[in-house]
Amino acid sequence: MKRAFLVGLALALVALALYPTQGTGYGVRTMLQLFMWIALAQSWNLISGLTGYVSFGHVAFFGMGAYSAGILIGKLGWAWPVACLAGGVMAMVLALVIGWPCLRLKGPYFAIAMLGLNEVLRVIVSYYEGLTGGGNGLSLPTLHASVPIYYAMGLVAIAVTGLTYLIITSRFGLRLMTIREDEVAAEAMGIDTFRHKLYAFLLSAVGPGIVGGLAARDQGYIEPLSVFPLITTITMIVMALFGGKGTIWGPVLGAVVLFTFQELVWARFIYLHQLLFGAIIVAVVLMMPRGILGVLQQKYNLPRTI
Amino acid sequence: MTPAITPAMVGQVVISGLLAGSLYAMVALGLGLIFGVMRVLNVAHGPMLMLGAYTTFWLFHWLGLSPYLSLLVSMPVLFVVGAVLQRLLVRRVVDAPELSSLLLTFGVSIAIVNLAQLMFTSDLRSVEYLTGSFILGPFAFSKSRVIACVVAILITAGAFWFLQKTRLGKALRAVSQSREVAQVCGINVQRIHMLAFGVASALAAAGGSLVAVMVAIQPEMGQVYTFKSFLVIVLGGAGNYPGALLGGLLLGLVEQLSSLFLTTQVNEAVAYILLVLVLLVRPTGLLKGRAS
Amino acid sequence: MPPILEVRGVVKRFGGVAAVNGVSLALEPGRIYGLIGPNGSGKTTLFNSITGVDQCDEGEIWFKGRRVEGLKPHQIFHLGLGRTFQVIRVFPELSALENLLVVTTTDYPAALRRARELLALVKLERLAGEFAGNLSYGQQKLVEFIRVLMTDPEMILLDEPAAGVNRTLLNELLDAVRGLRDQGKTVLLIEHDMKVVMGLCETVFVLDHGEKLAEGAPGVIQADERVIEAYFGR
Repeated sequence: MKRAFLVGLALALVALALYPTQGTGYGVRTMLQLFMWIALAQSWNLISGLTGYVSFGHVAFFGMGAYSAGILIGKLGWAWPVACLAGGVMAMVLALVIGWPCLRLKGPYFAIAMLGLNEVLRVIVSYYEGLTGGGNGLSLPTLHASVPIYYAMGLVAIAVTGLTYLIITSRFGLRLMTIREDEVAAEAMGIDTFRHKLYAFLLSAVGPGIVGGLAARDQGYIEPLSVFPLITTITMIVMALFGGKGTIWGPVLGAVVLFTFQELVWARFIYLHQLLFGAIIVAVVLMMPRGILGVLQQKYNLPRTI
Repeated sequence: MTPAITPAMVGQVVISGLLAGSLYAMVALGLGLIFGVMRVLNVAHGPMLMLGAYTTFWLFHWLGLSPYLSLLVSMPVLFVVGAVLQRLLVRRVVDAPELSSLLLTFGVSIAIVNLAQLMFTSDLRSVEYLTGSFILGPFAFSKSRVIACVVAILITAGAFWFLQKTRLGKALRAVSQSREVAQVCGINVQRIHMLAFGVASALAAAGGSLVAVMVAIQPEMGQVYTFKSFLVIVLGGAGNYPGALLGGLLLGLVEQLSSLFLTTQVNEAVAYILLVLVLLVRPTGLLKGRAS
Repeated sequence: MPPILEVRGVVKRFGGVAAVNGVSLALEPGRIYGLIGPNGSGKTTLFNSITGVDQCDEGEIWFKGRRVEGLKPHQIFHLGLGRTFQVIRVFPELSALENLLVVTTTDYPAALRRARELLALVKLERLAGEFAGNLSYGQQKLVEFIRVLMTDPEMILLDEPAAGVNRTLLNELLDAVRGLRDQGKTVLLIEHDMKVVMGLCETVFVLDHGEKLAEGAPGVIQADERVIEAYFGR
């Protein structure tokens, strides 16, 4: 069974790697968005799926990466691969600044604090107009690089998934999960919960930071509203939930299914899109809070490496 | 750059802050009721306010009904909407971890906003009803703000009277403190939940009706009030209903005062920084809130 | 011999009520101590204060010659003080084996060996891969017990180890506790089951309304009028 899966996975990866030679420009750009969502959902999973600390402001790291990379490319002329990596680093710095005080808070309070994070960043971006272009946005020199960005996004998606695998199969990952299960008991058993949460938080910020930069490069233009919307966070959360948070492949599955759905529906029902999305969120929360893989895992006692 | 700040300016700003704060307090009380009774973080609170504002707008537009009279319509209507929403959906996440209630109410929230966009379009609306200001010595306050404040105070006082003096209100407070004990005392907890959500939505609707004469009405107008209500609850202490009053007034004051010294954009950041500071220093709120 | 654990005048308040009101104890190493008292007398609160789960409002706590009040629970754990909980707190979605492994940071093979040893000690080896949440009450209790032994602590606080446990299992647990004492460890247990306390503990502390009422050998305590009054009312 496992070997069949690995073979299938290898084939899929090869197919994806070859896709740009066959696909249309539109197709490539669509696929790279899918990779982006996989990376986002998987990153959210790292902090919220494993430790149970729900990050409601995760898009902040995406925006941070976008603006950091955007400024480095647009104002300082950096090459985009390096700029995007720098975006990831900046996102990690932000996570440290935010996480240090906020991860000490209990559940609902942490959620509230993270909710507001977006707003503040948006405001700060608007304030430092000289640097960020404020409400008018930031334009990047035009560059047709969809294919390299496709591969870059794909690499990030693979890297984050791989990181998730490494963590979940390690004792570090186990310790993260104990925080979710029973934080008081975890502390009593010698686990420095704050430090573990912080590490998970930092790791969960890198992916969004990098893909934020890549998305900025791909779009060629960033503005506060497009990179800090709450709906992005919600989307990555719902994707991870739908597929199964706390699992390895859950966020991937969720991203693929929901993204496909979004692409198909949006094209037809643009006005109903948000309404349907709201309904999906409600449905997922009420009917399958553990997600597809979560339910399967519990029912068939599947190993954690699902 | 900034002209010298006179005492009159400070006075104006302080009173403006209190005026705005009373409105925040009323709306936040609603959110606080939901959190206190059900431990649910209701992101759909803002859309309730928005619906109240639209109710007022349409009644004014079609029937010429005074916005202040439309309160008599918007509050009961949204009370029912809220109670139904609780009964159908929110009830299922009452004991769930906050992720579930946040996501659920967020889903409801964007569904409602989207519905409003479909039905009302995103065009900005306004209710031109009361213009001009009351002049009191060196101070000038827009009439609609003053009246909004007075009405908000009345409604909030009514809400507290309800909580303290009526049987249902006491039952509600009992459920906030301990659901099990309340049940053992024969209180129908499910009904109380619906009641709390209904009352909360009515309070939000009242807020919407009152701001309808002051700001532009559009489907997304509620979002900022949701966030500010959360902030007020944190300031005042979750589950601490009088605390919501203090928190609301404090928020209003801080906002207005900071507008004196900082640009309006950074204003919002001030609210947030205040939130984080309070969360770090006294997560249970400035007054004695209850740890969740 | 210097005491391994000293509690000096610890006070812990919740709201206006002092759950623990100026309690002082001294425990010598290598003995089994009991902590008894009517419900609400502050026993678990005292445990929580000692292990850092709650910060005490006044007083000092010394463990192995170091002040530990104010330290975080995980720091106190690593100093060699472990505890179990009144309500079982295993990690339900981790397997029994993982519950044990998660406690250690030492190299994996050594940790694995020790975990398997401990599981064998309480005859749970075949359930090593089972989700802890799926185990029976008694089995979970055993897992929690051996979990605290993973890092070989010098002192262990047991919160109602006999609660809800059947006769056979109880005897195994008690034997295990005596075994710990024989290895030189110190045990302090909260317990309501008087037979257990009498049969196991060398010294007993009695708490009532957050204050230490009496202290002494089990036989002496049992006959103490004040203790009888505290339990059966005035």
